Amino acid sequence: MPESALNQLRIDAEIAELRPLRRTPAGVPVSTCTLAHASNQDEAGRARDVSVELEAVALGDLAAVLAGAAPGMKMRATGFLAAKSLRGRTPVLHLSKIEFLEGNENGFQAQVEVQEKG
Amino acid sequence: MPIVRVALPVPLPQVFDYTAEDASEEDVGRCVRVPFGRGEKSGVIVALPSLTDVDPARLKPVRHIQREVAALPADWLALVAFAAQYYHAPLGEVVALALPPGLRRADAVASDERDPWLEVTDAGRAALAATRRASAALALVATLGSEPPMRRSAVRALPGGAAVGDALRRGWLVGRAAGPNAAAVAAAPRLTTEQQAAVEAIAGAGERFAAWLLHGVTGSGKTEVYLRLAERALVAGRQVLMLVPEIALTPQLEARVAGRFPGANVVSLHSGLAEAARSRGFVQALEGRADIVLGTRLAVFAPLPRLALILVDEEHDASYKQQEGVRYSARDLAVWRAHQRGVPVVLGSATPSLESWMHARSGRYRLLALRTRAVSETLPTVRSIDTRRMPLDEGISGPLREAIAARLARSEQSLVFLNRRGYAPILSCPSCGWVSDCPHCSAKRVVHLADRRLRCHHCGCDAAIPTACPVCGNQDIRPLGRGTQRVEARLAELFPEARVLRLDRDAARTRAQWESLLARVAGGEADILVGTQMMAKGHDFPRLTLVGVIGADASLHAADFRAPERLFQQLMQVGGRAGRAHLPGEVLIQTEYPDHPLYRHLARHDYDAFAARELDERRAAGFPPHTFQAMLRADAPTLDEALAFLETARALALESGRSPLRVFDPVPMRLTRLARRERAQLLVEADERALLQGFLGTWMQALRAQRAGRELRWQIDVDPLDV
Repeated sequence: MPESALNQLRIDAEIAELRPLRRTPAGVPVSTCTLAHASNQDEAGRARDVSVELEAVALGDLAAVLAGAAPGMKMRATGFLAAKSLRGRTPVLHLSKIEFLEGNENGFQAQVEVQEKG
Repeated sequence: MPIVRVALPVPLPQVFDYTAEDASEEDVGRCVRVPFGRGEKSGVIVALPSLTDVDPARLKPVRHIQREVAALPADWLALVAFAAQYYHAPLGEVVALALPPGLRRADAVASDERDPWLEVTDAGRAALAATRRASAALALVATLGSEPPMRRSAVRALPGGAAVGDALRRGWLVGRAAGPNAAAVAAAPRLTTEQQAAVEAIAGAGERFAAWLLHGVTGSGKTEVYLRLAERALVAGRQVLMLVPEIALTPQLEARVAGRFPGANVVSLHSGLAEAARSRGFVQALEGRADIVLGTRLAVFAPLPRLALILVDEEHDASYKQQEGVRYSARDLAVWRAHQRGVPVVLGSATPSLESWMHARSGRYRLLALRTRAVSETLPTVRSIDTRRMPLDEGISGPLREAIAARLARSEQSLVFLNRRGYAPILSCPSCGWVSDCPHCSAKRVVHLADRRLRCHHCGCDAAIPTACPVCGNQDIRPLGRGTQRVEARLAELFPEARVLRLDRDAARTRAQWESLLARVAGGEADILVGTQMMAKGHDFPRLTLVGVIGADASLHAADFRAPERLFQQLMQVGGRAGRAHLPGEVLIQTEYPDHPLYRHLARHDYDAFAARELDERRAAGFPPHTFQAMLRADAPTLDEALAFLETARALALESGRSPLRVFDPVPMRLTRLARRERAQLLVEADERALLQGFLGTWMQALRAQRAGRELRWQIDVDPLDV
């Protein structure tokens, strides 16, 4: 497979579940969450409702950012897909960029954009 | 010119002749330095032959005979000769192993006593009488004035004892050669009826050879029996040899022996000692100045002119068998030695080896049983926790967790036993399947999270944990399985109020670290202990009432026929740590096979039934102790080379045509690759020891005559423990 083959996913989603920050054996922080997406999309010329849930993981500095978020927060997530493991082939979104779109129900309106370093 | 015959540490089954102008029969047993090839070697004079096979003109003179030290006695030379013959090792190599390195090199041995008895001098008393400015040294002299002589170490331990050096320099204290009275005995606990009976049986049998198997349940006070027997020997002005499996693990025992016999010269001999200290201890034993020699397997070679008794504690322990070089069994040599010297030998264990057990059953050894505990009323209750349908939290089941919580609430101690150190036995990449194989061995490198290292427990290879999978680059690599560090971390999370202490080889790299850990446990500074087999042996913590065993099942299905025996011994030993004093103990074993006979025997503390069942199985399968084995092992850079050598060896064995002998096929060893060498083995078995020994003699000769590849190494292991 060519090394530069396209693998990018951008999706607006809400953090449905956030698991505690952990570290790799080498000490790199890892944060995982479940993202819930809901929208209205066109399909074969007709609008329809769509919902999907997706596991997402962030490493390094981005892990701290994700860990600092709270369930219910909405984000525009950018990253690539990889299988969960050798045996479990479910895709997992590996985040490279998180843009928080809005806060919680209380009307918090900040827009946070974090770009992964280098 | 006299000729001396010298045993030198070379891998050849021969001795070497030299000339020595002034040598006499007195020099047999002395260490000597001789020219060898272009260099120099050192060894021991084993004979003064009148004739030599070598042209006398070609004999070289010895360089130096060590005459400051007494010659090794004839019985010592006979012991090493027997070991060389039985284990089919060159005599010089056995001598090299038996002697402290400094002594063998015929170096001068510093005779100054490291820990002398100190007494107050006339000058010291005069200083006390005179009106002087008060000083720490003077205060110390005043304290000692009314006491019998004390060891320097004991003086140092007194309040104000730091001034001992000053007092010695001022001439107020002086060292004396011997203790006040070797047989002086500190207060001893009352013996139980069973202990009393054991002591009387052994002492009453008189001073001649007898092998006793002292089978005493954990906490039954075997050590007290040893001490009483030792006391009788000391009173008679004799020496005692006491072997223990790992002295670094038993500082408590050492302190107990020294404490019981404050006047006796107790000498420790183990490989952890500095060279000079080992030489000094050996010479003290040789010259009869040591009263008790306490040591690990190598102490079986201590020369003891006044020997009256040999004690082998935890006789089943595998560490009595040397696993490299000359593969001798110190326990077996101890029995031979007792026979040679006509003295009793006592083999003690809660879980005797099946070899010794069979000897006891057949009447070759005499069996003494201690069936009740000395202090505590009962043995701990042992129960299996069926983990087949139970969720485990990092290996810890709900019932075990509750049992630990109950101990915490009563401020008692718990021990979680897991015989695997490190954080996790494997590091693996879930993405691509990479695992942390050791580059040099057929084993996995173990994750040590505390210092972020990957280590091979077989070859010692050690590297930083990679930040990403070396194959696919994934950073989120995972530790698989669990070791003591992981369980320790989880217990600390589950019981945040508890003090969790890990006791394994990594936490205690030195003896001092180990002693300080044990002191913390004894001092009640820990609530939950996580330990490996280091914790199984001989420790006595009164507040420890729960032992939880996790991960024991792996040994149930091991390929080695001795695996069940070892597992039973290990679990019985570690379970024996629970409830040794006045609090009742409990042992919980997590298993997926709660009905396995091994666990059922364990729950009933029924060693006899376990041993009977194992012996039956071994008889049916034709395994030791019903048969006798020797293992020829070969290792080389490639497996083919090792196997080819063993094939040749097998052909030679079959040629010798001794039909009752069973020669198996060469096979790769379980851990085939170790430290970049591929290893294979060939098992030979016979129904009688003499038959095997006779065969091995001729076979070794034939093998030594083989031209093996330069890179190939081989050794023979008589009575191997790992098959």
